[in-house]
Amino acid sequence: MAIKRERELAKRLAKEYGYLPYMIERYLALWGEEETREFLEACERPIRTAIRVNTLKAEVEEVIGRLKDKGVKLERIPWLPEGFWAEFDELSPGALTEHMLGFYYIQGVPSMTVTRVLDPQPGEIVMDLAAAPGGKTTHVAQLMRNEGIVVAIEQDRLRLGSLKSNVYRCGVTNAIILRGDARKVRQLGIVPDRILLDAPCSGEGLIPIDPSRKTSKKMPDIRFCATVEDELLDAAVDVLAPGGTMVYATCSIAPEENEYIVDAILGRHPEMRVASIDQEFGSPGYTNPYGIEMNNSLSLARRFLPHRHGTEGFFICKLVKEGDDQ
Amino acid sequence: MIPELVDPVVWSDIKNQIDGDFGQGVTQKVLADLVPVMLERNENQSIYLIPNDWVRSLNMDFEGFTLSSLGTWLGDLSDGRFRLSIAILDQIARYTDRQLVVSRRGAESFTYGRSILRASVVKLTPTLKRRQRVIVKDTRGDCIGLAALSVDASRIDRLGPEKLVAKNLVDIGWYIRRFG
Ligand SMILES: C[S@@+](CC[C@H](N)C(=O)[O-])C[C@H]1O[C@@H](n2cnc3c(N)ncnc32)[C@H](O)[C@@H]1O
Repeated sequence: MAIKRERELAKRLAKEYGYLPYMIERYLALWGEEETREFLEACERPIRTAIRVNTLKAEVEEVIGRLKDKGVKLERIPWLPEGFWAEFDELSPGALTEHMLGFYYIQGVPSMTVTRVLDPQPGEIVMDLAAAPGGKTTHVAQLMRNEGIVVAIEQDRLRLGSLKSNVYRCGVTNAIILRGDARKVRQLGIVPDRILLDAPCSGEGLIPIDPSRKTSKKMPDIRFCATVEDELLDAAVDVLAPGGTMVYATCSIAPEENEYIVDAILGRHPEMRVASIDQEFGSPGYTNPYGIEMNNSLSLARRFLPHRHGTEGFFICKLVKEGDDQ
Repeated sequence: MIPELVDPVVWSDIKNQIDGDFGQGVTQKVLADLVPVMLERNENQSIYLIPNDWVRSLNMDFEGFTLSSLGTWLGDLSDGRFRLSIAILDQIARYTDRQLVVSRRGAESFTYGRSILRASVVKLTPTLKRRQRVIVKDTRGDCIGLAALSVDASRIDRLGPEKLVAKNLVDIGWYIRRFG
């Protein structure tokens, strides 16, 4: 009876907000009716534009001053020293000279947060396994102050062009850019200190930005993404240096692409554990999504949710591999 | 694809070209303690500058992957001609006075890929000759691209406002136009 009622509610909400019903059914199972409605409402509201000041090219204060002179309103993001919410009004954020000069990168708040959680250090070897268009690669290089190596891998030839363009624009000089399938990363024989896996995903967190996502993906698409994510994460775990740190992130809110994936990895790789995240943002990862018991440490992962945090949806999980830091 | 150290003869041509355009010793200043390497792509070669300690990783063949870029992109060689990349210009700009400063409107039009007309010229090193390559800057001092003079600098005062002074070779709008 309850199931039938929930199905009908899902259908109704799906119609009202323009979604495929299976999505709403999952939200109801995950959050219940009230939170689902909050989520659906939040997805109707635009996400605030944000920028990351690129300190490889200019000082934060200089960029702020120049943008303010042009009438851009900026507000600091508490946990991101180089991140700002930015109101450009009628100006086009990508067309300003300061953007072309590489002084800033237009980037979602969750995306900037991912790289801060990874916390790459100057002199390290860092791998970015799904790199284009380079928002996080350029941020990694920035935090490394161009010292050390960031190996950026991207499979898609077209997207590789935008990755290179952004790397050059931002003045990154410590990147090695490779085209290929990151699932084959073991072949490279590189043992990175840190790995960023901003995995290709179904994009279920991007509905506020891309409403077509309400109807563009079916359950098999999510399953397909989950398979690739699992393979990528598995390869990443294998190559990470003992004592190394890795961040698994997606712009999907689907537990099937997030907690499920990490839970399976923890099961297969006892050398891996979820680490706590220092920065304060978002809400905890789920340990019991759809009533399925997961590794408790997944509560240390973080979620950005449109209805809770006013951002696109994102999942961020920091993992460490047992062993001595070299 | 495996990067190779740049052949000394080829490197000396590149160095002569850069120094010829921007002043003796400029290439060495930009190079500092980096090493020039070359990547073959189609008919062209791209030249990159990499730290010395990366050189041993050149022996890696990046099995299963195609190396697409490494370090600092200096420029490309095609048909025996070397062209500087947009990515290296602000470093060169630090070491040369062969510069052309353009007005705000001139800078805007230049970053849309257009060439520079007399009306936009704010400052030009007076001794420069036709065909000279110059770093283009806006009035704030930002390096916004590279151009080739189409007249001797000494003659520009005789030009009308709509006359061409320098041809756009590359500008920072490339980043946006090329890949949006
Ligand atoms: C979420 S996007 C990455 C965004 C990027 N990290 C940024 O911050 O700008 C995922 C990327 O992974 C790439 N990709 C998908 N499958 C891949 C694979 N097997 N190996 C490498 N890259 C892959 C996609 O083409 C896409 O560009």
